[in-house]
Amino acid sequence: MAFDPTILGIACNWCTYTGADLAGTTRIQYPHNVRVARVMCSSRINPAFIFRAFELGADGVLVGGCHPGDCHYSTGNLYARRRLAVTKKILDFAGIEPGRFKIAWISASEGHIFAETVSAFTEEVRALGPQTKFAVAKGND
Amino acid sequence: MKGIEKRLREEAKILLDAGTVSVVLAFRDGHNEYCPVPFAARDVSDVDAIVFNEYCTHNLARYVTEYDPGTKIAIAAKGADSRALVVLIQEEKVKRDDLVILGIPCAGMKDARRGTVIDETTTGGTLNPVIYDILLADPLPETDTSPYGVLADLESQGHDARWGFWQREMSRCIRCYACRNACPLCYCDPCFVDQNAPRWADKSPSLASNLMFHLTRFYHLAGRCVDCGDCSRACPMNIPLYLFHKKVAKECEEMFGQVAGMDPEGKPVMVDFKVDDSDEILI
Repeated sequence: MAFDPTILGIACNWCTYTGADLAGTTRIQYPHNVRVARVMCSSRINPAFIFRAFELGADGVLVGGCHPGDCHYSTGNLYARRRLAVTKKILDFAGIEPGRFKIAWISASEGHIFAETVSAFTEEVRALGPQTKFAVAKGND
Repeated sequence: MKGIEKRLREEAKILLDAGTVSVVLAFRDGHNEYCPVPFAARDVSDVDAIVFNEYCTHNLARYVTEYDPGTKIAIAAKGADSRALVVLIQEEKVKRDDLVILGIPCAGMKDARRGTVIDETTTGGTLNPVIYDILLADPLPETDTSPYGVLADLESQGHDARWGFWQREMSRCIRCYACRNACPLCYCDPCFVDQNAPRWADKSPSLASNLMFHLTRFYHLAGRCVDCGDCSRACPMNIPLYLFHKKVAKECEEMFGQVAGMDPEGKPVMVDFKVDDSDEILI
């Protein structure tokens, strides 16, 4: 059977989650692989969430937030940008392929971009194959 | 080193005698000359026990946060210690006015357990204190060796090889938390790893939970780690944690243009942002 990746999506309530909702209400088709968790702001994301997701067997993690400058809380995503950038470098240096972690700025009106991002990222992770590093260490491959 | 020891005792005596400070953080002899231990001199009669030699590698800034706010503390600070103090001042864990920093320029410090000299490749690249009230020796010429040069080998490897390297190292971790307890900037109470709800990482050592602990700790020290190397020297399993800390520090310097622990007026990079930070850093 072809590899079907499991991807954790973490979406900010005000932009990406609403964008995902728009993708749904406008009946845009996109892969089922991303399981979306809603947070109030991308700066709510503790980088340990992302490490934990990989530990628990996620093949990829997709984080969505408002475009910089459009944050509902003015500056949340500007903090998040720095935090997630460092998280990405840490995963890279630990030996997890950086392609398994993606950050995308998707606004509430960009349902089609949400669908495109999810489709493209799913294919990227599918190409990388199962995440057998962190997950196998835990026994969650 | 003997000259520094003499000056340290003199200054400690003056400060304690005058009541300027209630405690002087320095070193005294341990069970042998290779194992000096951190020492808090509280009285003039304690001063003669103070020693300073090339094995005094502990970062004494670690003990500053143990005292009640407002306690006047004098501290013998080497280069990295002073940078850790700068971060503690930035984070308002201690007030600059409560500190008397006895700056010690020093090079050629030795790792007692391994007998090796500590240089830029194994941390300890900052030779001169960046802030001080009293300098106990003449400043040394700073070297122009990059503290990040030691990373070249690991950086040039592929992801699988690097994973293999960290797998070998991290699977040895026994989760004694010596790295955390030696760190001057790991002052959280409780530490995330000691929390039960949510339980961020399993308590017993396994590769996965060790990684969960260490990766999160590397993140928590991003833009704060001052490269003193005490975590690695404290590690009973000889895990080269300093390599990862150096890598994160290097990335922070490249992305945000700031080195940790240099400017008491500044802010650590992770509690700050610029509107024009580039999205390139996310790729």
